[in-house]
Amino acid sequence: MMKNLTRAAILGLAMTTGLVSIAEAQGVLTIGRREDSSTFDPIATAQNIDFWVFSNVFDVLVRVDNAGQKLLPGLAESWDVSDDALTYTFHLRDAKFSDGTPVTSEDVAYSLTRIRDSELSLWSDSYKIIKDMQTPDAATLVVTLDGPSAPFLSTLAMPGASIISKAAMESMGEEAFAEKPVGSGAFTVDEWRRGDRVILKKNPNYWDAANVSLDGVEWISMPDDNTRMLAVQAGELDAAIYVPFSRVAELKQDANLTVVVDPSTREDHLLMNQEHAPLDNVKVREAIDYAIDKAAIVDTVTFGIGEVANSYIPKGALYHSDDNGARGFDPEKAKALLAEAAAGEISLDYVVNAGNEVDEQIAILLQQQLGNVGITLNLQKMDPSQTWDMLINGEYDLSVMYWTNDILDPDQKTTFVLGHDVNMNYMTRYQNDEVKQLVADARLEMDPAKREAMYAQIQKLAKADVHWIDLYYSPYISVTRKGVENFGQNPLGRFFLEETKKTY
Amino acid sequence: MSAIPLSPRWSARFGRQPMLLTGLAILGAFVAMALLAPLIAPYDPIYQDAAVKLQPPSLAHPFGTDNFGRDVLSRVIWGARIDLQIAVIGVIFPFLIGTAIGTMAGFFGGWVDALFMRIIDVVLAFPFLVLMLSIIAILGPGLGSFYIAMALVGWVSYARLIRAQILVLKTQDFAVAAASLGFSRLRIMFRHLLPNALAGSLVFVMSDAVLVLLNGAAISYLGLGVQPPVAEWGVMVAEAQGFITQAWWITLFPGLAIVTLAFGFSLTGDALADLLGVHE
Repeated sequence: MMKNLTRAAILGLAMTTGLVSIAEAQGVLTIGRREDSSTFDPIATAQNIDFWVFSNVFDVLVRVDNAGQKLLPGLAESWDVSDDALTYTFHLRDAKFSDGTPVTSEDVAYSLTRIRDSELSLWSDSYKIIKDMQTPDAATLVVTLDGPSAPFLSTLAMPGASIISKAAMESMGEEAFAEKPVGSGAFTVDEWRRGDRVILKKNPNYWDAANVSLDGVEWISMPDDNTRMLAVQAGELDAAIYVPFSRVAELKQDANLTVVVDPSTREDHLLMNQEHAPLDNVKVREAIDYAIDKAAIVDTVTFGIGEVANSYIPKGALYHSDDNGARGFDPEKAKALLAEAAAGEISLDYVVNAGNEVDEQIAILLQQQLGNVGITLNLQKMDPSQTWDMLINGEYDLSVMYWTNDILDPDQKTTFVLGHDVNMNYMTRYQNDEVKQLVADARLEMDPAKREAMYAQIQKLAKADVHWIDLYYSPYISVTRKGVENFGQNPLGRFFLEETKKTY
Repeated sequence: MSAIPLSPRWSARFGRQPMLLTGLAILGAFVAMALLAPLIAPYDPIYQDAAVKLQPPSLAHPFGTDNFGRDVLSRVIWGARIDLQIAVIGVIFPFLIGTAIGTMAGFFGGWVDALFMRIIDVVLAFPFLVLMLSIIAILGPGLGSFYIAMALVGWVSYARLIRAQILVLKTQDFAVAAASLGFSRLRIMFRHLLPNALAGSLVFVMSDAVLVLLNGAAISYLGLGVQPPVAEWGVMVAEAQGFITQAWWITLFPGLAIVTLAFGFSLTGDALADLLGVHE
């Protein structure tokens, strides 16, 4: 009893004088998300869930601004490009890693060599263009390319190309580093409870640490959408990402919450396996495009939050073109085209990711819409781990997928989708040599105006061939408690947590 | 231990079984609903009408509408067809297979018994749902795979139940007498022993139907059973999960249907157990 009284008295005193220990927890932002991270080795993943944390733990040579429009200095304070566009000289800023050691040109060269050459790297193709790297002094890096490359600077801003500490990686080994990395970002990994949460604390050695307001960040995995939203509503979390479309209107009504809607580069599209008859017939593909009421999908699936997509390059992204001959909703025309194609009874296998609310809803809508023009869809709900392999092996006719850009430049997505590289044009098996050549040429063209014209042409040709069907663009949606300021993502997904404030 | 007591007293007891009557009434109502679905469902269960999506219950749509504007009442009614089918087919094959194997194992004993019991041990060594899911994963999603998986996994309970009964019965006087009269083994097995051993299994069929029904709903919930747009209660609950806070009616009514049908099976099972003198 006595003890309790004393404790209460101390607590009372502490509260009146403002000395409570929660003051420490005040600066820690807790964010709920669907899954936990899978690694902290920047080159060994292609998942958004990892990339989005990398941006706060590591820094990159060049950054993309918050509006997703231009490149900003990152670890490189400035850079010069030679007239032949083959040599890039980067001048590094005076920065330190989280362990206090300085960031040198050698660390940068080591990190870029790793993403280009390491067996672990999922991104080596994009960096093969780097021929040579020289480090004349600790603050200067000279990169020589095999040939001119318009997207090169953009690729340096990708989280996979994060700069890591060479000394730390060599002393710790790759496995240990992937658990507890040493980077030069605004935050550093304090503890990673696998499957539960990633605990970041402020990096006092960050070059711009004076302007970082948060003391720490906790990324907490809560797979169930309803639970995650309730946790923010109850004040157990400061923020949550992946807000389902169906919940936005309701959360906006809550006076304690702010719904953050940030423009993204996400585009959802319908893949068609063009090796399977009758999808090899462009008329059938056109008919499917005409038969799909994209506005109804935006309305039913995204509750009006998304926007009908007309091109594989998202609206607002570099070189997006509206003038590409996108088709409207016209079931009569679809029927006429099907009659012309004389494909007879059409029955297609549609692979759906089981458990994905949005995917399942699109499938049910498309089944009805295509049914109206006489195309039967057999839905096959599969575990997401299986569907990916089925798409790669071509064991599907139709399937819905999405893409978010990792770099500012359209080259990366264009290469994956239309460049005829190893992934068979994103599993569609689409073939058009003219498009293939244009994609390769556009990568080398350094004049922005000419490049824009080339991308407009690519979008027109691909649309005419119906390489896939663009469905809708949608924003990133997060929710925070009132009092969390400057929380959000740029269109590539990077959270600018170094600017975020928590005022309660 | 007794034979099925078809004595005059039985019918008298039947009339005084409120539990049994309620159970059978519930089951009967669902069967009628399934059979008459095309006549009593007010709308086409898969017709989407964007103009009326997410409507709360009203006169036009007593159970409301879902996010595609489909009528929930019509979907619940049509769902009875699928869910009853799941409960019945999902029980019959395990029952037949299990009974045949259990009878043989119990009657012959020796290596036949040892062989079947070891197979049962192997099946039981795996958690039920894990084994089901792996079989369905191999066969591909769909109701057909679900039935096959049920038949492959579900028979073990019936086999063990029947075997235990046969083991006891075969040493009893009437069985020994039948054998000494020179009846064939087949005749003793199926005419003399089996009818006396079945009571326990029949009761178990009812409680098993509940489990199968819930399993079917769970498998569909996981996306491995019934494929859209077919109306099935488990699928309906799963699809409407994201709307539970703003449109409770889409999940509530199919959920209630599952619970009520399961309740009907349990009541009937319990009442049968009392009636037949089986103690689980």
